[in-house]
Amino acid sequence: MTTATSQDIFSPWKQGVKDALPLFGGYIPVAISFGLISVQSGFGVLETILISLFIYAGASQFLFVAMVASGAPMSLVVIMTLLINARHIVYAPNIAPYLGKDRRWLFLMHGLTDQLFALSLARLPQIAKADRIAWYTCTAMLAWFSWVAGTAIGAIAGDEITQRWPVINDVLPFALPALFLVLVAPRCNNRLWTLTLGASAVLALSLRLVGYPNLAIPVAALSGAVVFYALQTGKARGKTV
Amino acid sequence: MNQDLWVALFIIAAGTYLLRVIPLIWMQRKLIQHEKKGSVKPPPDWLTVLGPTMISAMFGASLVPAHPTFAAWIATALGMLATVAVWVRTRSMGLPTLSGVFVFGVIIVLFG
Repeated sequence: MTTATSQDIFSPWKQGVKDALPLFGGYIPVAISFGLISVQSGFGVLETILISLFIYAGASQFLFVAMVASGAPMSLVVIMTLLINARHIVYAPNIAPYLGKDRRWLFLMHGLTDQLFALSLARLPQIAKADRIAWYTCTAMLAWFSWVAGTAIGAIAGDEITQRWPVINDVLPFALPALFLVLVAPRCNNRLWTLTLGASAVLALSLRLVGYPNLAIPVAALSGAVVFYALQTGKARGKTV
Repeated sequence: MNQDLWVALFIIAAGTYLLRVIPLIWMQRKLIQHEKKGSVKPPPDWLTVLGPTMISAMFGASLVPAHPTFAAWIATALGMLATVAVWVRTRSMGLPTLSGVFVFGVIIVLFG
């Protein structure tokens, strides 16, 4: 009886650890790069760690450091970084129906990064209601910790690490596209969603290739939604004709 | 770091947090209102479409290798194939991701 109860208590935490593991492969090498670039741009080790601890949003952190290093006006730095992070607006409403009314969720939203949103949208519906906060807390804390720890390692010894083990930088970041693919694949169970998701992926890839990495995600996501409604409308018209 | 930078850091950190939490409060209030009326209203249609397209866009954007050489693109394609193949068999998250990274890594180490 005791064992069964303990298993019930710990299973969402164990699942959280398991689900957070692929994030490590993506987060740590990128965080090491951020730590290294931040220190090279003139920020101190502690300042670099605090940026990762409090902002905790990869693309905007790189932009923040680059703009400050280039001497951009502070107001522009703030506006640009917040604009990049504006995509986060659509994340919480998507997962809100699975979260319930617990006030702790408000604090836990600090951890709602791109990757954690993708993971939560796929995983939360499969987890029992009572276990969701434990699963999310575990996954979010591990992801946050890996980002901050990676930043610290990068700021302190990033140069040496990337020179000695270049494979870390070259190979491990592949965990992120692989994870996203696994999260997208179950949705591609009909023609409408396959075409919609395929269109937004191809457009994001193309925009990134032609030099618009920050616009790639919001523009491709919005275009994907347009494709979805266009196909749906076309299908409805086809039926009426 | 001068005082201006600390202020900027604080505003960005607070702003980013608010971008994540305010939509949750908005949605929770909506859900509570519908619950009081006795109806269960799902999130707006456009939101349920935009969520998956965001993930798909992140997938597309993350496909570009750090050093986009011919070998890196081949490694990306084969890594993706390995991920899908293992996912089709296992329908899990960890093993397909690991397999994809492994195949990608082997090709990069051998030919990159």
